[in-house]
Amino acid sequence: MSGGAAMLEVSALTKRFGGVKAVDDCSFSVAEGSVVGLIGPNGAGKSTTIDLVSGFSRADSGSVRFAGAEVVNHAPHRISRLGLIRTFQAPREWGSLTVQDNVALGLRALARETILRNLFAARSVRRAERADRLRVDEIIEQFQLGGVRYDRASTLSGGQKRLVEFARVAAAEPRLVILDEPMGGVNPVLGERMSEAIRQFVVRGSTVVIVEHNMKFIEETCDEVVVMDLGRVIAQGHYSSLRDDERVVAAYLGSVDGE
Amino acid sequence: MAYWISILTEACIFSIMALGVNVIWGWAGDFDLAIYGYVALGVYLTIAMTTGPPVAPAEYILGWHLPYLVAVLVAVAMVLPVAAIVGSIALRNLREIYFAITTLGAISVLYVVVQVYTPLFNGFNGIAGLVTPMAGTFNLSYGNYQYFLLGFCAVLMLIAVVVLQRLSASPYGRALRSIRDNEQAAAAFGRSVFRAKLTAYLLGAGLAAFGGSLFAAYLGAFNPSAWAPQEILTLYAAVLVGGRGNVRGVVVGTFIVYIGFIELTRYLPNVGGNTEFGPSAREFLIGALIVVMLKFRPQGIFPDRHGMPRAWGAPGWLRPLAGTQVDAVGEQDAGS
Repeated sequence: MSGGAAMLEVSALTKRFGGVKAVDDCSFSVAEGSVVGLIGPNGAGKSTTIDLVSGFSRADSGSVRFAGAEVVNHAPHRISRLGLIRTFQAPREWGSLTVQDNVALGLRALARETILRNLFAARSVRRAERADRLRVDEIIEQFQLGGVRYDRASTLSGGQKRLVEFARVAAAEPRLVILDEPMGGVNPVLGERMSEAIRQFVVRGSTVVIVEHNMKFIEETCDEVVVMDLGRVIAQGHYSSLRDDERVVAAYLGSVDGE
Repeated sequence: MAYWISILTEACIFSIMALGVNVIWGWAGDFDLAIYGYVALGVYLTIAMTTGPPVAPAEYILGWHLPYLVAVLVAVAMVLPVAAIVGSIALRNLREIYFAITTLGAISVLYVVVQVYTPLFNGFNGIAGLVTPMAGTFNLSYGNYQYFLLGFCAVLMLIAVVVLQRLSASPYGRALRSIRDNEQAAAAFGRSVFRAKLTAYLLGAGLAAFGGSLFAAYLGAFNPSAWAPQEILTLYAAVLVGGRGNVRGVVVGTFIVYIGFIELTRYLPNVGGNTEFGPSAREFLIGALIVVMLKFRPQGIFPDRHGMPRAWGAPGWLRPLAGTQVDAVGEQDAGS
C-alpha cells in the first residue's frame, strides 16, 4: 500500500454466471493517486471485476467503496457521476459524431443537455459551450488529433480511436479511471504516447487502474499490481516483488515471461 | 389548384409526424413502431373534444365542445402519458428488434381496443364531425378555408423545424446521438441512458400527437382503416430518404416521398377495374424505395452533419460523409 487513503476498496465481491464463480470473494484496494495494474490470465475475472465496480454488471454479494461511498450495484451513470470513468476493451467511440464532439462529451456538462435549457436558455448554453471549447482544443492538441477533429470518429483507425478514448477520459478529469486493456492493438510509438497520457492523468489528480496483458507496460507504468486468478486476488504488491511469488508465477507470469 | 393545396397541407402535417420519428429513431436510435398510434390518438382525441356529445348510434368518450386550439394542446397532453407507459416498458432494457416488436405489440393492442371497444371512439365506424375548425374565429368562408389551413399547418411545421433544428445542434442533440452510437460508453460518461431515451420518446410522441391533431382538422373524420399499421412505413421512408437525424432533410424527404409517390401513382390505370391498384402500387413503391435507400445511400439525401463545420461552397449533401480536414474553415454549426 502506498501512502494515500483508499480511492477504491473492493471487498468480498462475488459474481456467479450459472455455476461458475467468475469473481469469487475478490478484495483489493487502490490508493488515491496511485497507478495500479490488474493482471491475471484469461478468465481470471478481471473484466468482470471492473464491470462490477463500474456498475455495468450486478454483483451477487460484496462491497465496492469508491471515494468513501458504497456504490456496489449502483447504475453505471451514477457511479460515473461520482467521478469513476472506465473504458472498454475495444474502443467505444461515438461513431457518427466528430472527434471534437467525442472530446466535448467527455467534459460531461450534463446540466446543459436538457431540452428545456437548450430551448429557453440557449444563449447561456452557447456561452458555456464556447468556454469549454478552450479545454477541448487543449486536449485535442495534447493528443495530436487536430487533423481529424471534424472527422466522424467511426472513420478513424484503431489507434486513433484509442487516442480519442484517452482524450475523452482526459476531458472528464475523473477521480478514478479504469482502463480496460488500453494497449490492445496499439503500436509501440502510440504506446509511448499513451503511457505519457496516463502520467498526465495522475498529474491532474486521477487515480488509475489498468487491466492489461502487456507486462512490460505494466512494469513501467504501475506503482502496484493486483494479480487475479480464478476470480480471486492471489497477490497484491509491487511488480518486482511479485515476480518471484510462487502463486503468481504458477498462475500467470511464468507462462508469458517471454512476452 | 384545390388539389395541390390539399396535398401540400397534408405534406406539412406528415412532416411534423416525420420529425417525431426523426427524434426517436434519427437521434435516439430507437426503431419505434407505435408512433402512428400516437398520431391516431391525437386525431381521435381532437375530434372527440371538439364535436360535442355523440349522437346515437355513435358513441365515444369526452364529447366536449372545446375550442380547436385548446383541444390540440389537451390532446397532446393526453397522449404523452400513454407514450410514457409504452416508453418506460419498452426502453427499460429492450433495444433494436426487441424494442421494435414491443412497440408493434403496443400499437396492435391499441388498434384492437379502439376497433372493438366501441364506447371509446365508436369502434370500426370511427368518429366524425370536425368541420373547418377555427373558421368561425377567423371569419373564414368555405372557399378560403383551405388556404388558411395550409398556412396554419405550414407555419406550425416551420416552428417545429426551427425548434428541432436548435435542439439538434445543441448539447442535447449531441448527448442523444452519443447514446445512440454507443450506449454503454455514454453511461460510462455519466449519461442516464433510460432517461434520455424516454425524454426523446416523449418529444417524438408529442410531435406525432400534435401532427395528429392537425390531421384531425384536415380530415374531419377518422376510423381504424385510416391508421392501418403500414402507415408508419411512409414516415420511416421519409426520414430515410431525407437523411436520418437531419431536421431539414427529413422535411424535404417527407415532401419527396409523400407528394412524389402520390403524383407518381395518380395516373396509374385501374388495372382490372380495381380502384385500389394505385394506392397499393404506392405502398409497394415505398417499400422498394426503402430497400433502395438502405442499399445505396443509407445516410439519406441530406446526411446528418451534426458538429461538422460549415465549409464554403458545396452544400452539405455534396461533401464527403467522412468530413475532411477543414480546420482552416473554422466555425461550427450554430450552438455546438
